[in-house]
Amino acid sequence: MAPPPSSVVEQLQLEPLPEFTPDLYTRAWSSVPHPTLPLIATSHATAVTVFSLTTFTKHSSVSGGHERSVRSATWKPALPAAAGQQLCLVTASFDGKAGLWRYKEEPSEHLATEITTSSDEDGEEWEFTVALEGHENEVKCASFSPSGNFLATCSRDKSVWIWEDVGASEGDDDWETTAILNEHDGDVKAVAWCPDTPGRNSNSRGRYSADVLASASYDNTVRIWREDVDGEWVCVAVLEGHEGTVWGLEWEDNDKKRGGEQRFPRLLTYSADATIRIWTLQEEQEEQQDEGMKGAVGTFVPNVMRRGLKEDWICTSVLPKIHTRDIYSASWSRQSGMVASTGSDGVVVVYGETEGDGWKVLATVEYAHGPYEINHVTWCKRFDKKESTEGEEEEEMLVTTGDDGIVRPWKIKRISGTT
Amino acid sequence: MEKAALDNADPTILSVSQLPSRRQKNGAARHGPASKYDHLISPRQSGPWDLSSSVSSWSSDEDEGDEDLAIEPLDEQEIYDLISPISDPEHPHTLGQLSVVNLPDIHITPSRGNTLNTVLVELTPTVNHCSLATVIGLAVRVRLEKALPPNFRIDVRMKEGSHAQDDQVNKQLGDKERVAAALENDQLTRVLNKMMETCA
Repeated sequence: MAPPPSSVVEQLQLEPLPEFTPDLYTRAWSSVPHPTLPLIATSHATAVTVFSLTTFTKHSSVSGGHERSVRSATWKPALPAAAGQQLCLVTASFDGKAGLWRYKEEPSEHLATEITTSSDEDGEEWEFTVALEGHENEVKCASFSPSGNFLATCSRDKSVWIWEDVGASEGDDDWETTAILNEHDGDVKAVAWCPDTPGRNSNSRGRYSADVLASASYDNTVRIWREDVDGEWVCVAVLEGHEGTVWGLEWEDNDKKRGGEQRFPRLLTYSADATIRIWTLQEEQEEQQDEGMKGAVGTFVPNVMRRGLKEDWICTSVLPKIHTRDIYSASWSRQSGMVASTGSDGVVVVYGETEGDGWKVLATVEYAHGPYEINHVTWCKRFDKKESTEGEEEEEMLVTTGDDGIVRPWKIKRISGTT
Repeated sequence: MEKAALDNADPTILSVSQLPSRRQKNGAARHGPASKYDHLISPRQSGPWDLSSSVSSWSSDEDEGDEDLAIEPLDEQEIYDLISPISDPEHPHTLGQLSVVNLPDIHITPSRGNTLNTVLVELTPTVNHCSLATVIGLAVRVRLEKALPPNFRIDVRMKEGSHAQDDQVNKQLGDKERVAAALENDQLTRVLNKMMETCA
């Protein structure tokens, strides 16, 4: 059952569900859900703990490969079903390496529906198969392209590296550096590939391949990267507007096409300046139609130049300002289109889109992890719900990850009418 | 250490009796800050501010959390007492004696309603190109993070006009990820531990 569009929802209530066990007792940085399976990977200290989203208990431990903290982890997408639904994770660590891990347990036929807690206690369930080395210092984030063919990593060394899978088969982990992008003036905090949507693919315009990468930096900017016809990765846009470190970014990946249009996915960015911005690509056909008006609107880059090299991205929304300190994380629901954010102020906020690129606040929870800072928030599908709740609760939940080492799921209830 | 190697070979040094202390206010002698804040050093273990155990109850009564957090309010003098005994990494004196830390440059914004307490400490490095400003700032931030309860947010900055690279140093000190990574650097933690030895 599809939830109503967020513009209809007046208000939401967030209620904490039982937190994941065991408690990690140390700062946890992020929790990343598996794209399809009921698993979520939480990075803390030099390890990753994988929790089951069905039971909220530990599934397995990814440890023994990094000498310093693991900042984030990402799941390899699009693994062939023939390989028995194997699990593959990439970790980004302060030790300057990205690590590729594979789950060693025999694939279970029931894996897709029921994840049982592994009996293995010593963290040997995962094999550290490849260390991707090259960054000079802390690797902060890694991201797979939608096909899984490219991996991007970023670091305090101001660079983004793109690695290409050159292995002969899925199990053959052989990665080559295909590009090193050095245009940021500060730490690159996060990288994210645009999802494979119809809107993305109708826009490649023959000059670039379909994959699009975005990077967020300590230099307050976001950059968009594409691969040109010569196989060179080039920066096609610099998104300027944030007044502090851009902590991260997330692409729109909403199954419901807005108004039936196949628009290029928008980009959400969040910053130390306590704001969340949404950026929209000015698509070419619109540009041609509006050509006569462009001068009047006051764009500062001549059309000729933009056509040749650059894409024109403009900030089309700034979400209502609730946060008072750094926003460390924001997540854009693939299912409902709602956005959730959190950060140093320990507040979790949910926003819904209204008509004409407007956004309103649907829910706010203060002290969501007591007095502690919250480092991450993500939407994920609910697998714990057994019975139907007659549409009062969202099919998705939020998961927050804090300095207190707690990973907390939240169920979301719709409140009808205004209060 | 050779004098010539120092960024500031001849800093002004205040004697201990010139430093601001509680005695000027109420005459009570102060013991070392460490003894007073011992119970705060490991905030995760227990304490009235740890709300994580009371999640189920606080969702029904949001005000409860604020009352739990409202333990004995800290004042600027107590913050000063925590950080002024930190040693300078170059000189055999404390940050208080070198006037790097000054009582009027400590600002506490107490919790109002649902906001957290914030402590802003503005530092005055001994010379305006002091290359160790970041290390000093980091020591102050780490000292306060360890000593204060988790409902305090700590901002450490260079006092305006006091340092050639204000913005760069301030941004670095405010970046949680960079601070976390720095504290995993053994060489740097050795320097910080040395600076903190005089805090015990």
